Amino acid sequence: MNGREFYFTRAIYSGHGWRGNSWETDFPKADVQFLVGVRRYTNIDAYEYEHPVRLDDPELRRFPFLYALEVGYMALNPAEIEGLRSYLLAGGFLVIDDFWDVGEWQNFEYEIGRVLPEYPIVDIPLDHPLLSAFYEIDEIVQVPQVGLAARGGRTWECYMPCQPALRGIFDEQGRLMVVINWNTDLGDAWEWVEQPWYPFTYSSFAYKLGINMIIYGMSH
Amino acid sequence: MGSPPATVFEFLFKYRPVVFDNGQFVLHAPWPVLLFIVIGLALVIPPLLSYVRLGGKLGTADKALLAVLRVSVLAVLVFCLLRPMLVVPTVVPQENYLGILLDDSRSMQVADAGQARSEFIREQFGPEGSELLTGLSERFKLRFFRFSESLQRISGSDELTFTGSQTRLGHALDEARSELSTLPLAGLIVFTDGADNSEDPLTESVLQLRSRGVPVHTVGIGREQFERDIEIARVEAPRVVLEGSAVAVDVMVTHTGFGGETVQLNVEDGGRIVSAQAVELQGEGEVTTVRAHFEVTETGPRLFRFRILPELEELVDENNERDVLIHVRDRREKILYFEGEPRFEVKFLRRAIAEDDNLHVVILQRTADNKFQRYDVEQADELAGGFPTTREELFQYRGIILGSVEASFFTHGQLEMIAEFVGQRGGGLLALGGRNALGQGGYAGTPISNILPVVLEPRPENDSSTFFSEVSVELTPTGRSHPVTQLSPTPEGSAERWAGLPALSTVNPVFEVKPGASTLLTGHGNGAEGVVVLAAQRFGRGRVVAFPVQDSWIWQMHADIPLDDMTHESFWRQLLRWLVSSVPDQVHAAVPKDRAGVGERLTITTEVVDSAYLKVNDAHATARVTTPSGLEQALDMEWTVERDGEYEASFVADENGLYEISVEVNRDGELLGNATSFVEVAEPVEEYFGAQMRSTLLRRVAEETGGRFYTPQTVGSLPEDVRYTESGSTVYEEKDLWDMPIVFFLLLGLVATEWGYRRARGLI
Repeated sequence: MNGREFYFTRAIYSGHGWRGNSWETDFPKADVQFLVGVRRYTNIDAYEYEHPVRLDDPELRRFPFLYALEVGYMALNPAEIEGLRSYLLAGGFLVIDDFWDVGEWQNFEYEIGRVLPEYPIVDIPLDHPLLSAFYEIDEIVQVPQVGLAARGGRTWECYMPCQPALRGIFDEQGRLMVVINWNTDLGDAWEWVEQPWYPFTYSSFAYKLGINMIIYGMSH
Repeated sequence: MGSPPATVFEFLFKYRPVVFDNGQFVLHAPWPVLLFIVIGLALVIPPLLSYVRLGGKLGTADKALLAVLRVSVLAVLVFCLLRPMLVVPTVVPQENYLGILLDDSRSMQVADAGQARSEFIREQFGPEGSELLTGLSERFKLRFFRFSESLQRISGSDELTFTGSQTRLGHALDEARSELSTLPLAGLIVFTDGADNSEDPLTESVLQLRSRGVPVHTVGIGREQFERDIEIARVEAPRVVLEGSAVAVDVMVTHTGFGGETVQLNVEDGGRIVSAQAVELQGEGEVTTVRAHFEVTETGPRLFRFRILPELEELVDENNERDVLIHVRDRREKILYFEGEPRFEVKFLRRAIAEDDNLHVVILQRTADNKFQRYDVEQADELAGGFPTTREELFQYRGIILGSVEASFFTHGQLEMIAEFVGQRGGGLLALGGRNALGQGGYAGTPISNILPVVLEPRPENDSSTFFSEVSVELTPTGRSHPVTQLSPTPEGSAERWAGLPALSTVNPVFEVKPGASTLLTGHGNGAEGVVVLAAQRFGRGRVVAFPVQDSWIWQMHADIPLDDMTHESFWRQLLRWLVSSVPDQVHAAVPKDRAGVGERLTITTEVVDSAYLKVNDAHATARVTTPSGLEQALDMEWTVERDGEYEASFVADENGLYEISVEVNRDGELLGNATSFVEVAEPVEEYFGAQMRSTLLRRVAEETGGRFYTPQTVGSLPEDVRYTESGSTVYEEKDLWDMPIVFFLLLGLVATEWGYRRARGLI
């Protein structure tokens, strides 16, 4: 802790089998590179480096913004469930990214259901304030993983073509606790943005949505 | 019957002190004074010479002493021969009037001298008569009056009821003087306990009587101090609060005979106890100040009763309780929060007050250079141009929260406008900590630093070092009783709760508060021992609070805070409610007190300002007074001329109950605003407060008018004393002084001393 206002905190969680460390996908380059943009485009007093925290660490609650990805392989233990639940109910804000297709969705839906069983997952409409918190966003772009982005053409990682989705979990007062980016990979866009061959469309959208999620998470 | 000292005086000096007070000393020698001087010298010189020539064993000191004794004897004799006397003005019997004013107020029913005070008056002026009455009637024509709220002529004591609800001594003296002004008036005699509870200045009445030479003799009835009594001397409560607010009310308790004892203080709202606490009373003569905390949950005018349960042996029970009218408003107070950067403080502040219907925080947040986000605005164009640039736009809010935004963001005009928002408009300002706030934001030396309760140290140029410390907070003694920092029903509970909260962080080293400011919370941490965490002060008409920490949301998010804990929410609600609780509207209506008696004339005062909070003198103000029975009376209010923007109208409260006063103000056909105030009309209870006999006041009235102060024990000499006055039809009496017993004793003493001394020295 050094007194900065914002820490891009990445969730360290338990996973299944050989993807047990799925939490560290794109880590730490995506985080650090994204923070460069955050610090450049906004006046957030953001810590410049990666900042991973375990879900069962009591210190987690000191960081009200949390990023987790590849949750299709998430397998939370009871301590993590309790840690994440208390974090979200106290006022924490969780952003989910980079998981694809029905199978991974079902895994995440199961895991988050263990954390917040009483709260349903719903679509976030395009007119939601999240999409105008800093940049005006009028469509949800599917950001492919870096290989596909470099090749052009197919943007999905699903078995069949699939659409990106922006979904969320709201509390009783209608406040957004969890933002779920499904069938899209914002993290790759942040990670590879400096490459001249990386398509601007994807990186632009990923940065816009990422910054919007931070601004929204810090004000709502 | 005279008091022992007065009797001794009269025995020695032949006359009562009053004769000496009023008389003029003269020498009435039957022969020319020159002759006396010659005789005197003839008598004095021979013995002096004989002592000088005397030889033998006498020393110089002996000779001098004997000479002085002998000369003194001769001087006393010469003095007597000069026929000293007093010339005293004395009333002509039965040619003068005496006004007798009898206190008919309720406090005369207090039985603090073995019997009710009123009994003394009945005994003296009842049909059976008394020595006093006889003495007075022999010398004067008597005019009797009773007084309480007003003065009325009466023919006898049977017309006294001792039920008056107020004691207006000054008013009574004025009325009596006026009524008897055409008669030869020898003086006024006032029989009272002196428990004046009016707001009339006595000085003016006393000066009028003094200038007319009318002496006022006062007879103080009752004891100057009760043996055992508890009284709620004063209650200081806000007159207007927001619904759901935690209210802190100061209750001042006085007592006699209960020092160190513990009593129970209850606060009742419509008969329901909303607060109860034990109070240990301070020592004799000291005021015990208790802060009562309770929450107001019902809107409208609420009559709160502060009551100390009566103790055994208390002389007066009625002074154990006081009622206070508090107008509980159900309205949304609009506060502007300007934050210079995205901060979690915004999110968690919004959450903290989300369920408070009485607070509406509009947020303007700078998210990038020249890029702003607005949250919770009412109209689409509200704050669309950024931070307000006009008084009209800024002054629509009742409070401002300044976050981490550097002073250089504002123009000098905007900084001055924020200071005027507090000082002139009466708004509340809360300055938060942050990397661009307070001293770190360059506010030292700006108009904002002038109004802050803390001292800002200017940041040295080229200083890139940063201060950072985590601080645990501690409630200060002032904070223990402040409404903002109450986290528990008891001060001890609050102190414990604050001490148990997780540490916050600060980047603003603020260690000093200004004189007159209150520090409510301090912090302790590495390099930040005693740092100010929360301080407040009044500035002009408004309030200013400094909260130089940057992450109060930790009190919501920290792992040690249970999910159902409401500390963070309670603190923010209390802080913001207090900040805006006394902010005036464009139209403000008030009556001088919240409680009045039937028949009392009440003046409604309205202050009117325009949307820039500049005073308006050309408005049309109308007051609508609704009586408890529902009758309405419309009153046109007049500009007072003496003060800009102030309008007045008055009405007489003629029935018991709650009066509602609604004021509407228009200018050029446009509504400027309206305001509502309330006043409770009830049987006044002031007579039971401060009901001890006030001898100091009565002595002052008597002495300043040339009268005398008496008690029931000394009043016997009053008929004789009253004779000596220059007021009314008078003659001058000469009173010889040569035959005063004191002269004889003096002579005897001098001769005996001389004889004894001579004998001791062996001269006889």
